[in-house]
Amino acid sequence: MNVIFTAVFIASMVAIAISAPDKLLSSLLGGAESAAKMSLTLFCIYAVWMGLSKLAEKSGLSKQMARGLKPITRRVFKTDDETANENLAMNVSCNLLGLGGAATPFAVKAIGELEKQGNSFAQKLLFVINATSIQILPTTVIALRAGAGSAAAADIFLPSLICTAVSTGLAVALYLAGNKLWR
Amino acid sequence: MALIIPVIFIFVFAFAVIKKVAVYDCFTEGIKEAFNFTVSLLPCLAAIFMMCALFEASGLSDGLTKLLSPVFGFLGIPPELTKLVLIKPFSGSGSLAYLNEIITAYGADSYIARCACVCFGSSETVFYISAVYFAGIKVKKLAMPIACVLVATFVSTIVACLVCKIM
Repeated sequence: MNVIFTAVFIASMVAIAISAPDKLLSSLLGGAESAAKMSLTLFCIYAVWMGLSKLAEKSGLSKQMARGLKPITRRVFKTDDETANENLAMNVSCNLLGLGGAATPFAVKAIGELEKQGNSFAQKLLFVINATSIQILPTTVIALRAGAGSAAAADIFLPSLICTAVSTGLAVALYLAGNKLWR
Repeated sequence: MALIIPVIFIFVFAFAVIKKVAVYDCFTEGIKEAFNFTVSLLPCLAAIFMMCALFEASGLSDGLTKLLSPVFGFLGIPPELTKLVLIKPFSGSGSLAYLNEIITAYGADSYIARCACVCFGSSETVFYISAVYFAGIKVKKLAMPIACVLVATFVSTIVACLVCKIM
């Protein structure tokens, strides 16, 4: 991340110094402003979902769900830690339901738990799965198409499912292969 | 499908009541965590958004789009989608705005728009996710996983353009 960030930043700054030097500061400020707006939006999403997930956690609901999914999460992510498994199970369930905003806090918690055990394999695997999108129902896109007057807004369901499966499957395969080669 | 969300909420609340959880206290506690979490994200978000804004304003992103369009065309990705494919890994809101533009310009049921929708729906904002997920982690070494994700996303884009031609 450090390398990419520095490279893109320096290249862009040089290019902007040549083409439009007066825009450098304004675009940086604009970026920071959209980050501030974005974090407000994110806070709203997280407030709703983390409030709800706290209820699920305290009432023991998420523990029960995790117990159901534990055979899978334990094998896939190679961890025995109860809290980590609970968060992993919730993350995967939210993703499958297309609740991307709800899935993120669980992933971050799971990564924190996995950090305590030094399980960087599982951390990165979780990232790979989440970063390739495993949602079954692309709700945002369908809503957008319906709004634009599409005759059959949901007809992208099957193509989306195929592509999601391809990207997640391939990414996990590449990651596992890369993981073996690296060591 | 629209019922999923209400069902989840009612179920969780009802379950909490049955288990005699102090619902208000507990819900507020969750929101407090959400607040701390959002604040901890802000530095990463600000840095990444600045980088994206700079990249866009410097004209490098347009240059890259022009440069890559023929390559993408060769692989079966319509040149109209080049920018969307390039922006998506960095910015969810930016690519959503661009997707909206494509839908309005070509019509919701056109091949281009359907392709764009499938690409958008089956990919994620990779760099943003990597920043959020690993914000609190010291040793990162994310180059390999990020590369895997980007390659897989690109392949699935090619697949998306193929599949949309058939279906």
